[in-house]
Amino acid sequence: MPQTTIYVSPRSVGAPDSRPPAVDTTDLARLFAGSPALAGVSLRIDAGRTVALLGANGAGKTTLLRILTTAIAPSYGRACVDGLDVGRDPHLVRERVAYLSHATGMYDDLTARENLAFAATMLGTPDAEQRVERALADVGLAQRSGDRVRGFSAGMRKRLALGRILLGNASLVLLDEPYATLDADGMGIVDQLLAAWHQVGVTVLVASHTTDRLEAFVDGRVILERGLIAAASGHGVVSAPPSLPADSRPALREVAQ
Amino acid sequence: MNALRLELRVAVAVARKDALAELRGRHATVSTLFFAAIVLLLFGFALGPDAARLAAAAPGFLWLAVVFAGILAVNRLHLLETDDDAMEQLALYPVSRRAIYAGKALGGFAVMLLIGIVVLGAVGILFAVDIASAWLPLSTAVVLGALGVAAVGTFYAGLTVRLRAREVMLPLLMLPVLAPLLLGAVKATTAAIAGDPFGELGAWLQLMAAFDLVMLVAGAATYGFLLED
Repeated sequence: MPQTTIYVSPRSVGAPDSRPPAVDTTDLARLFAGSPALAGVSLRIDAGRTVALLGANGAGKTTLLRILTTAIAPSYGRACVDGLDVGRDPHLVRERVAYLSHATGMYDDLTARENLAFAATMLGTPDAEQRVERALADVGLAQRSGDRVRGFSAGMRKRLALGRILLGNASLVLLDEPYATLDADGMGIVDQLLAAWHQVGVTVLVASHTTDRLEAFVDGRVILERGLIAAASGHGVVSAPPSLPADSRPALREVAQ
Repeated sequence: MNALRLELRVAVAVARKDALAELRGRHATVSTLFFAAIVLLLFGFALGPDAARLAAAAPGFLWLAVVFAGILAVNRLHLLETDDDAMEQLALYPVSRRAIYAGKALGGFAVMLLIGIVVLGAVGILFAVDIASAWLPLSTAVVLGALGVAAVGTFYAGLTVRLRAREVMLPLLMLPVLAPLLLGAVKATTAAIAGDPFGELGAWLQLMAAFDLVMLVAGAATYGFLLED
């Protein structure tokens, strides 16, 4: 497997102490049809750390990640990435965040190369052609780069989505169940990326059901339960109990209490 | 200037991506063109074999067929974004929403232009209308009409793409808004075919151009809200 190339953002360089927290949330809550998926999460993750976000299905892991990407807005509370409020400066936040979600967002009728070339244009990637080829090689899809994504397995789509992350120079990488659907080689690529991101000072937040494979890479752990932080530990991770405002909806208060 | 160039690059990338997917998308454009042809044929059957009546009604048939086929086309261009939730990924790119709208509208315009040209040719053949002698004003009307349908359709297809009842909602929302464009297009086409005896052609084309401008500006200004949560 070739050495993975991580393009370092100027924001990721320097001592973590000199950078604002990569993630800083205060009483972050999100309701879906009146039910709280997040019920008051106050969490700070220092820059440059790799942190596991753990919890059962429905604990709120994906909701937290999606708020940090700006894909969904918080119902209550505040979330900041690199000191930037996701609600007030969404465009600047998007420049700093890369996200691997369950859905890969690839176009079925485009080839793997065309999908990444489109992403490179949207991300403003310099030397796009070269970087696309390199990313395809890094995720083990160089041989299939001319094939349409319609014929790809779930694991191959995930590899391609990882390749898209390599095209940007995000200072915060959010991975939602990165090992799911991947074969042994694919899991090895994720391991390699986690190590490389840690080395260059990129902050990584990995949502997962289990810690087995992640143990070797993480500085800290955050455990979510029913939309609240049940435990937080490790270097560069600080949490606080929720202190929701008085006008919070009853459903939210109930969970928070 | 640099920002404008960047937006233009994004818009072209979005339009190119849509065009590529559309061209490879199981002959979807051909199906839409067949649909427009069938609409024309059915209108013709409904009116009967009277050649004079058919020729008089041809501008109306032309634009109804273009609009009906256009609704299918712009809907499909947005359905591409439902592939593996590509719409969310599109919204997460750090680019201006205006540029994404421009790209989607540009892709829609290209498809609409193709539909307009083919339907215009079909009208000439099926209803024995002399389009060759008025090709310039008719071409202008087709370009302006295609642009208007693309501008409106891109916005409303973006609005309805996540709805379960999108196939019903899209025409319900689009058709009333397209009424001024449809009126201008039919009047301009009628005047062009007749040789513009009352000198009104320019005014109708101006109405269409003004409609396009307003809808493009409104779409570019508001499309971003459709991408947000």
